[in-house]
Amino acid sequence: MARYTSDWHRLLLRFAWDGLSGQRGRSALTMLGMAIGTASVVAVVSIGLVGRGYVVGLIEGVGANLVLAYGTGEGVNPEEVDFDDVEVIREQVDGISALAPVLSTSRTLSIGGQPWPVTVLGVTPDYADVRNIVVTEGRFVTAREDANADKVAVLSPELALRMFGGDPPPDATIRLFDLRFRVVGVVREGVQSASAVGSSEISDLTAIVPFSTLRNVAGLRFLDVLYMRAESPQAVAGVVAGVKRVLAARHRSLGSFRIESLQRYLSLARQVSDAITLVLIAIAGVSLVVGGIGIMNIMLVTVTERTRDIGIRLALGARRRDILTQFLLEAPILSLAGGLLGVLVGAGGPLYVGILYDVPVPVSPASVAVAFGVSLAVGIFFGLYPARKAANMNIVDSLVYE
Amino acid sequence: MPAATPSRPRIELELHDVYKTFEMGGEPISALRGVDLQVIEGEFIAIMGPSGSGKSTLLHILGLVDSEYQGTYDLGGERVSGRSTDELAPIRNQEIGFVFQAFFLLPHLSILENAALPALYARDRAPDECLAEARTRLEQMGLGHRLDHKPHEISIGQRQRAAIARALINDPRVILADEPTGALDSKTSQEILEIFNDLHRQGATILMVTHDQEVAAAAERNVYVRDGQIHV
Repeated sequence: MARYTSDWHRLLLRFAWDGLSGQRGRSALTMLGMAIGTASVVAVVSIGLVGRGYVVGLIEGVGANLVLAYGTGEGVNPEEVDFDDVEVIREQVDGISALAPVLSTSRTLSIGGQPWPVTVLGVTPDYADVRNIVVTEGRFVTAREDANADKVAVLSPELALRMFGGDPPPDATIRLFDLRFRVVGVVREGVQSASAVGSSEISDLTAIVPFSTLRNVAGLRFLDVLYMRAESPQAVAGVVAGVKRVLAARHRSLGSFRIESLQRYLSLARQVSDAITLVLIAIAGVSLVVGGIGIMNIMLVTVTERTRDIGIRLALGARRRDILTQFLLEAPILSLAGGLLGVLVGAGGPLYVGILYDVPVPVSPASVAVAFGVSLAVGIFFGLYPARKAANMNIVDSLVYE
Repeated sequence: MPAATPSRPRIELELHDVYKTFEMGGEPISALRGVDLQVIEGEFIAIMGPSGSGKSTLLHILGLVDSEYQGTYDLGGERVSGRSTDELAPIRNQEIGFVFQAFFLLPHLSILENAALPALYARDRAPDECLAEARTRLEQMGLGHRLDHKPHEISIGQRQRAAIARALINDPRVILADEPTGALDSKTSQEILEIFNDLHRQGATILMVTHDQEVAAAAERNVYVRDGQIHV
């Protein structure tokens, strides 16, 4: 008897399929309910992942493993980070792979006869790397230019646009501190909206010159900010502690300094976006349950409608278990077909939008698997009651059922 | 040469003192009141009686779809009374061939699949074998050209022949027919009745519920059911 078990199961599947295709419209609508539920779950996870990726990318774009130290200028006798601090930190704090001290001042520049306030930054070549600076035209300042205190400048795109109407010509110059600086490039921040995470020292109209050049011509004694890149995410905490230690030892107090890393923002952003995603999944999950109840409803109608059919099968020698299996297969067929459609829509939709707008859209394989699993479980769970009802029918009553 | 002793005719089924009571609107109604019936192998019996006489109930009990009654029922020498309808499923499948007035073919299955159904539910042959067997039976019924049609696509006479092919597929001990010509015109009735006569000539045991005197005349023995009792 067990010899034909697999054939037999294929046959029961066939009976179940016949039952469903007998009511195509209704089956399709029921399936749609499941499809919407599944699609919502998959799409919501994708949306959550995109949001998380966006926020995390925003923070990381400012500079991965970044640690920054600066004087806030607050309090009585505020103190600032000075040049010696940089050297002591370079020597005494472990785990730093790059240091980028930044000087900042502002000047009024006459462009087209009008005065414009321009931020002038003095940076070392490492700055470009530490701050994820993107060179859009020409090049960044070099180590040699910094060592020689050369009068070269790179401009923010807005400044280049305002001064030259676009990319600066090869022989372009800019007049700062009554000196002529050769313009060697145009740069922008790796993440356009980095200022959304914290204040950025780069304003719309910014000229960046070598660190030593600005120190010499502007006579600056304190840093605007000191950027450090830790060797790894794990090293960040150690660097923060080390910098605090050095500054505390070399100054009266840490009160007017701020030393921070982006790790805190990163984990906060991850936690918040994960929490939002979970809430969204729970909401989408409700539609899966609603879809399941739709299935149960339809299966109950189907069982009633096919009372005679069931009676005939039982009269011909079907066992109650055969009827149970047949009907127990119908609901998961519906829910799985709905689930498949839902996954196609829920994953395909975001992917399509991603291609349309050229944004990378992640589709979580886990969410697809979970959505599938849940639709199957919903199908079995909500199919059980109608299937039992079908299997336990009184044969005589169902044969004479009109 | 010693004369061959005539073998004693085998009793295919036997009901003894069968009572059946329904509840209807809280009132107990006696459908069968002490029925005794013996059917011998190869007999063709017409069961007659007015509506509500209990002949449908009798047929349901004989067909093992109703197992809630008092009294005993032996089928092929085996006691089948007192068992649940589910325990009786394999016996119903193997020993009983049902032919219904309204054919009771499954609308979504082809004629071939319909005829194969009892063999498929027997689960002792591969589905392909069952379908091949059904094909043979349907061809014998002259339905070789209708195998892939759905029931609603063929004439009612053809439907009843398909239903008979289905009833025969497991070579049952007894064929139970519930007014098999009741839904047919007289010409088609005649054809269907001829099929039963052929089966009878080939040795099949047939019990047929009918209102039709002409049909009853074709049977060897008539059994009258009235007020839940059998009158021969």
